[in-house]
Amino acid sequence: MDAIIDIAQINSHLESETLAYTSKILQQLADRLEKQQRALVLDVGTVCNENINFFAQRAKKLFVCDIFAHMNRHQSGGLKTKGIWRHLDYEPNSFDVINLWNSVEHLNDKDAKRLTEICSKIVKKKGLLFVIDIENHVSAQAVSSFVIGKDFQISLRPQTHLDFPWYCRHNRAVISLFTSFSIVKIFQYRNGLREFLFQR
Amino acid sequence: MFKQSEKAKKAENDSTKNPIEVSSTAVDVSNLSRDTRTSSRSETTIIGEKISIEGNIRAEENLTIEGFMKGSVEIAKHSFGVGSKGRVEGEIRANNVLISGLLHGKVNATGKVEITKNADFYGDIKAHSIAIEEGAFFKGEIELGRDPHKKDDSVGKQMKETGYRGKQASSVPTVEAVKEN
Repeated sequence: MDAIIDIAQINSHLESETLAYTSKILQQLADRLEKQQRALVLDVGTVCNENINFFAQRAKKLFVCDIFAHMNRHQSGGLKTKGIWRHLDYEPNSFDVINLWNSVEHLNDKDAKRLTEICSKIVKKKGLLFVIDIENHVSAQAVSSFVIGKDFQISLRPQTHLDFPWYCRHNRAVISLFTSFSIVKIFQYRNGLREFLFQR
Repeated sequence: MFKQSEKAKKAENDSTKNPIEVSSTAVDVSNLSRDTRTSSRSETTIIGEKISIEGNIRAEENLTIEGFMKGSVEIAKHSFGVGSKGRVEGEIRANNVLISGLLHGKVNATGKVEITKNADFYGDIKAHSIAIEEGAFFKGEIELGRDPHKKDDSVGKQMKETGYRGKQASSVPTVEAVKEN
């Protein structure tokens, strides 16, 4: 069962609560992309210049489909959330890697499941799904970008123009959203940051 | 703000009633509007808000679209821009490209592509480098030119430039739990 936290209560904590960590998975993924040089990568998180440059310089092509921007537009236009999925209209088996950073935790179970189902279709067989989110930390509750810095350090940058609920999920609940994938790695840090690498 | 030729003023006034539509393969836009703030070496032609063009443009100076344009643009050695009120559908070939309005189509830039936070972009980008502001509406694919001899440090540099600082990696707690299959 999801637990929705009121964003208004925690916004005041955000400026002083900056989280960062050095991503083990990102390091390994970057090595793999550099060796491969022909990978097609899809990023469905919020538009982030540093991340776009990081992946575009390592992949053959980077595809960007910011689902939050689409959700924002649908919401302000009074449209239903389900309409956003048509934007992920990629051919089946298209991508070597899909990044879902700080994405599923702002979707309810139904929408999160729908997103992972779409990902399982458009990622190649043996392709990877890279998920980063935060568990049990005040910064998790507002929409943020995970921003890639130097030496694979990842920091949080709040996206003040976006306002979506946060659904708190423990590891088991997160993993249950990705039933069509197998787990490759999970790293969980004391500061609440988690990263999951799944494979189709 | 901009010094416009009589022809350009007339064109803008007329376009409120009858938008200009051009269907020729190449359009000479040099007389439509000229930004006199820039030096003669980098003059910019501006297609005004109330002008719409259908066709192809080949230019040898900077060009900014504030109106509507459907077709292709080729400006090999200069910059192309879509202003905040501009709407462009088509294929762009230019040195640098700045998008602040709506662009649906393909961009092929030998230099840099910049997309501002109010931009709305759908399409493909091939460029040497790219900068996208947060808040921009973006759906598309990006292919950057690679320099095999240059080690990428753009991310760290951008973080420094924007003054963004997270906690240092050394202060981050160590891995609490690791599960590997």
